[in-house]
Amino acid sequence: MAVYKRGYQKYDGPRTSHAERMLVIPRFAWERLLSQKAVTVLMVVALFWPLLCTLFVYLANHSELWSGFGAGFKRILAVNGKFFVVFMNVQSVFALILAAVAGPGLIAPDLVNNALPLYFSRPLNVRDYILSRMLVLAGILGLVTIIPGLLLLSIQTGMAGVDWLWNNGRLFWGVLAGFTLWILILSLVAMTSSAYIKWRVVAGGGVLAFFFFTGGAAEMINAVFRVDWASMFNPSWAIEAVWMELLGVEIPPDRPGFFECALSLSGLCAGLTWMLTRKLRPVEVVK
Amino acid sequence: MSASEIVFSNVSKFYGEVLGVNRVDLRIPAGITSMVGPNGSGKTTLMNLMSGLVHANTGSVMVRGISPRQPERLMKLLGYATQYDAAPRGTTGYDFVQAGLLLHGFPKAEAERRTWAALERVGMRQAANRKVAAYSKGMRQRVRLAHAIAHDPEVLVLDEPLNGLDPLVRAETIALFREYAAAGRHVILSSHVLQEVDVFSDQVILIANGMIVAEGQIRGVREEMSEHPSQYLLHCRDAARVAAMLFEESHIVEAKVDAEARTLLVMTKNRDAFSSALEGIVLRGQEIDSVLPADENVDALYEYLIGGCK
Repeated sequence: MAVYKRGYQKYDGPRTSHAERMLVIPRFAWERLLSQKAVTVLMVVALFWPLLCTLFVYLANHSELWSGFGAGFKRILAVNGKFFVVFMNVQSVFALILAAVAGPGLIAPDLVNNALPLYFSRPLNVRDYILSRMLVLAGILGLVTIIPGLLLLSIQTGMAGVDWLWNNGRLFWGVLAGFTLWILILSLVAMTSSAYIKWRVVAGGGVLAFFFFTGGAAEMINAVFRVDWASMFNPSWAIEAVWMELLGVEIPPDRPGFFECALSLSGLCAGLTWMLTRKLRPVEVVK
Repeated sequence: MSASEIVFSNVSKFYGEVLGVNRVDLRIPAGITSMVGPNGSGKTTLMNLMSGLVHANTGSVMVRGISPRQPERLMKLLGYATQYDAAPRGTTGYDFVQAGLLLHGFPKAEAERRTWAALERVGMRQAANRKVAAYSKGMRQRVRLAHAIAHDPEVLVLDEPLNGLDPLVRAETIALFREYAAAGRHVILSSHVLQEVDVFSDQVILIANGMIVAEGQIRGVREEMSEHPSQYLLHCRDAARVAAMLFEESHIVEAKVDAEARTLLVMTKNRDAFSSALEGIVLRGQEIDSVLPADENVDALYEYLIGGCK
């Protein structure tokens, strides 16, 4: 054995950090996703609404162009929390469709190919794997949500002056946190769908169906029991309520408030994470 | 705890109500160790336990002094290849191996160097930039092996690594295992090609129904199996005459002479007495060209020990 030991030399050179290693998976996945036509087309289409909003911001900051329309028009053309709620609502639909197209290819192929042992026989655990996969979607979805949102804020600041941003700092954090939360929810729904449904098209449909059915079920409960609180189980409504709170817009009094909606969304995220970790095991056991 | 062995101490693993392995006590020294057993016997579970992919319900596993519950440390010294075609079809062989190294934390330049070295080692350099989808089964097997050895592990765990390889590549792969073992590393593999296992393994582990049936060097295991008569193949001028002389001995159970009366298959209950008897026969003027053990191989052990479990 003493002779053998001389023949083997361990690598003692530098190693990259844990965070850097986690970026290996997204790097390869982004390359693959961005080479898909459907993803590229959707990302381009998703930029039309921010362009329209930019035009809106331009008009709002050039009152000489609509001076003949009166004070009512001035109220409509205000860049404030309401404007950003509308912007985020529309843009979130594009993000949802993009998640439905890009999400299903994230986990299902690894499960079908039995590739999870390959990941987990590296210094990578289930949590790291989920975070890495989430980063893939976060990167893509961020391009159509957070980036346009912040650009819009920058344009408005450029036109209205830094004082405007100083007085409306809440909008900056609201857009950032609101979209981050939406990306988190979309990523978890898309990844869970990908983990449980191996056919891509069906998994993509599953993402859309999730929001359709939860929304429908919530409204049905409201209608049958003549209540309002079930809206908090409609993720689309719940996220809008959270955005309203973050952007300083008043939530309609006949609907569940910020805390109920935030609690409901937290429960949703926890449930989806639990489902994901349950499914993502390095070894599949056939019983 | 030995830092140069893989040690299983009273390890049991259940998947819900399904038995994986039960009360396994093992010490695996460096070298080539083959796990042999029927499908579902627990071979892959043992491999997964030492790779940290599953954890034992009871007992403990130590891989060269490191617990599989410390993946950051363990994965630096362990390379694992599954039996599945797990490489993504849309990626190239190069990217697949390099991604593994980057996940191990090697800097990009070092990962590139090691990727080429590993692909070269398994004879895949020329096909490195082709998509995995375009590889043959043997090529996919080799790129998986490259993925497992690229970070130069001390412990190589390979599930069915010889499946799908042509004879030449198979020989090269076995040579690679031998080279690894000669450097004092562990090469743990499972295989159904029993004849090959017999030739290149330093020790075998026979598993059935989640339990270790036998372990150690093949000859040593065979010697301990006193309930099964030992078989020898004798090549001699007059096999019929030698058979008649052997039947004078009480330990001889059976002797079969082939049609040409040149070869004799003998079964004896006492190896030492058989050896003495042969000496006596030679001294009495019979010519015996060769004496070969006929059941000191994994095939025979498998049949004796596991055959009944199949």
